[in-house]
Amino acid sequence: MMSFSLWDIVSALLLTARWTVLLSLVAFAGGGALGLLVLMARTSRLSGLRRAAWVFIELFQGTPLLMQLFLAFFGLSLVGIEVPAWLAAGATLILWSAAFLSEIWRGCVEAIPRGQWESSASLAMGYMQQMRHVVLPQAARIAVAPTVGFAVQIVKGTAVTSIIGFTELSKAATIITNATFNPFLVYGIAALIYFALCWPLSRLSLRLERKLNAPHRA
Amino acid sequence: MAYRFDFGAVFDYTPVLLKGIVVTTELIVFGALAGVAVGIACAWARTQGPRALRAPVTAYVELIRNTPFLIQLFFIFFGLPALGVSLSEIQAACLAMALNLGAYSSEIIRAGIVATHRGQFEAGASLAMSRMQVFRHVILTPALARIWPALSSQIVIVMLGSAVCSQISVEDVSFAAAFIQSRNFRAFEGYIVATLIYLAMALILRQLLRMLGRHWFGRSAR
Amino acid sequence: MKRRNLLKFAVLFAAVAISPAHADALADLNKAGVIKIAVPQDFPPFGSAGPDLKPVGYDIDVAKLIATKLGVKLELVPVGSANRVPFLQTNKVDLVISSMGKNAEREKVIDFSDAYAPFFNGVFGPANVMVTKVEQLAGKTVGVTRGSVEDIELSKIAPADASIKRYEDNNGTISAFLSGQTQLIATGNVIAAAIFARNPPKKPETKFLIKNSPCFIGLNKNEPALLAKVNDILAAAKKDGSLSAISQKWLGAALPADL
Repeated sequence: MMSFSLWDIVSALLLTARWTVLLSLVAFAGGGALGLLVLMARTSRLSGLRRAAWVFIELFQGTPLLMQLFLAFFGLSLVGIEVPAWLAAGATLILWSAAFLSEIWRGCVEAIPRGQWESSASLAMGYMQQMRHVVLPQAARIAVAPTVGFAVQIVKGTAVTSIIGFTELSKAATIITNATFNPFLVYGIAALIYFALCWPLSRLSLRLERKLNAPHRA
Repeated sequence: MAYRFDFGAVFDYTPVLLKGIVVTTELIVFGALAGVAVGIACAWARTQGPRALRAPVTAYVELIRNTPFLIQLFFIFFGLPALGVSLSEIQAACLAMALNLGAYSSEIIRAGIVATHRGQFEAGASLAMSRMQVFRHVILTPALARIWPALSSQIVIVMLGSAVCSQISVEDVSFAAAFIQSRNFRAFEGYIVATLIYLAMALILRQLLRMLGRHWFGRSAR
Repeated sequence: MKRRNLLKFAVLFAAVAISPAHADALADLNKAGVIKIAVPQDFPPFGSAGPDLKPVGYDIDVAKLIATKLGVKLELVPVGSANRVPFLQTNKVDLVISSMGKNAEREKVIDFSDAYAPFFNGVFGPANVMVTKVEQLAGKTVGVTRGSVEDIELSKIAPADASIKRYEDNNGTISAFLSGQTQLIATGNVIAAAIFARNPPKKPETKFLIKNSPCFIGLNKNEPALLAKVNDILAAAKKDGSLSAISQKWLGAALPADL
């Protein structure tokens, strides 16, 4: 009737893992784009923009991802917007990633020594030119490693979306566990698949940190 | 088809919310104390400890840091009974949180230790301090002072991550919201209240950790 | 391939629909040509996952029956117990066919059709746990799915020192029982039978029954046309034996005459 062989389990988990990967990519791309906007607002000359960005960041960094997902999933529907699970999951992860990425990048921009700003100002560069030609290129170098490191957090964050019913790896693991009565095996395999997705990113982040950040380390 | 909000329906269940706050607090207090202890032990093992310990500790740290907390929680709660280890839900949640924070904090603390100038070790030895004393006073304490902001951040992150413990029936704040929703179907109001409670707890925790840092490490910790 | 998926994703993202006020769900779904029905995926034999992770079961067959009779396409939406009513309230689905029982709290927010399947709630557990009445639950752990009829009924009658553990969905409840985290499980009699038939590590034998709570189809309030149509389809299915055939297939017995 419904018997799962080991191969059935592994293949079912691997197949649902592609949704984990897709969701992670969407969150990373969307979160990155939005994160840049939030970064510019957060460092802007206008205090209203700065405050709005600050509120956004505090809200998404100071509340559990699970609560954000529930609110997106049930809350938006109540005001008339039709939200399927994948949309709630994607939108929430984009907002959540944007909050964290913008703070990571802000740290990188602020790590650029004051002297860089002053010397480029003495060359009669305006704010936008300073950012574009002097500060951002250097900040981007420092930012690559922690950004890749945060990508690992995004992949792990997709696991929480299983709770609002998005069928990714964790949800599949739960369903299969109940069909096979073997939580040790099924969750063990799921953990290995997550590890296989995350560990290379973690190593990459470490290598990039060593290669690109050498001049900036104490 | 306007939805009529009814926050009163949520506050009918205030005892459930209060119990949730108590349980979440228990989780993070235990998780933070045990987690930082594990973190210090692992950081010591990887920098000062015997060579034989380094591989297993590194394996533990990398495994935890590269898998989701939810899977770790499910594995401990549903999977371990197959090995004969059956923990209650609160025990499983506390263990999962301690192991999770332990791995992250070990990396943070290790970074702080590695940044200690070689001269410090030698200075401590020249004062006839035992290895343990050198570790405690010369290496660990300044390292903790150095990385306290990062460690505090991580503790708050783990506290917020504890929301998924409701999945194994731990009666924390997110469980309270789900329970209320199951009784009166006030999903939106319940989750808004729960989110605000978590936000308040995160702000209080951050402030508390900042004060602790200042008390222990003086002005060097922000 | 990945870029095409991304593009599809992006286009779908951009096309977030603002749902209009629902004057008549039946007319709307007839116009759209598709009916969205919430079904369980963690509650055999009413709904569980096959090796391809698609839902199969009693509720799925009833959903197919209704879609066919309405002449529209069927879109199955797997839901957990806790999400059933919110899904309906937020128009994510048109109907809920998820072994749902009728009670006063639910009647305040949704409407119910006629009954379509028999269902007894009870407490079940392995032979070595000595319980025959609800008072004997004192000091024991019972797992239950949050918000289910078993949860609500048991919470009313269980002794104060019985330990009721509530899980987010049936997956959690069943997992907890099977891994020994709870000594007993409160669920439907046929669900316990379905678990029993799979020869699990812990066998759920009947300890006592809580309530006779047949299954009803849930729909939103103020949808008289849809309600009438669904009841008509159910009545016809009972008369021509098709509902009894589904009952025979999944519950091993014909439909009781008094349903």
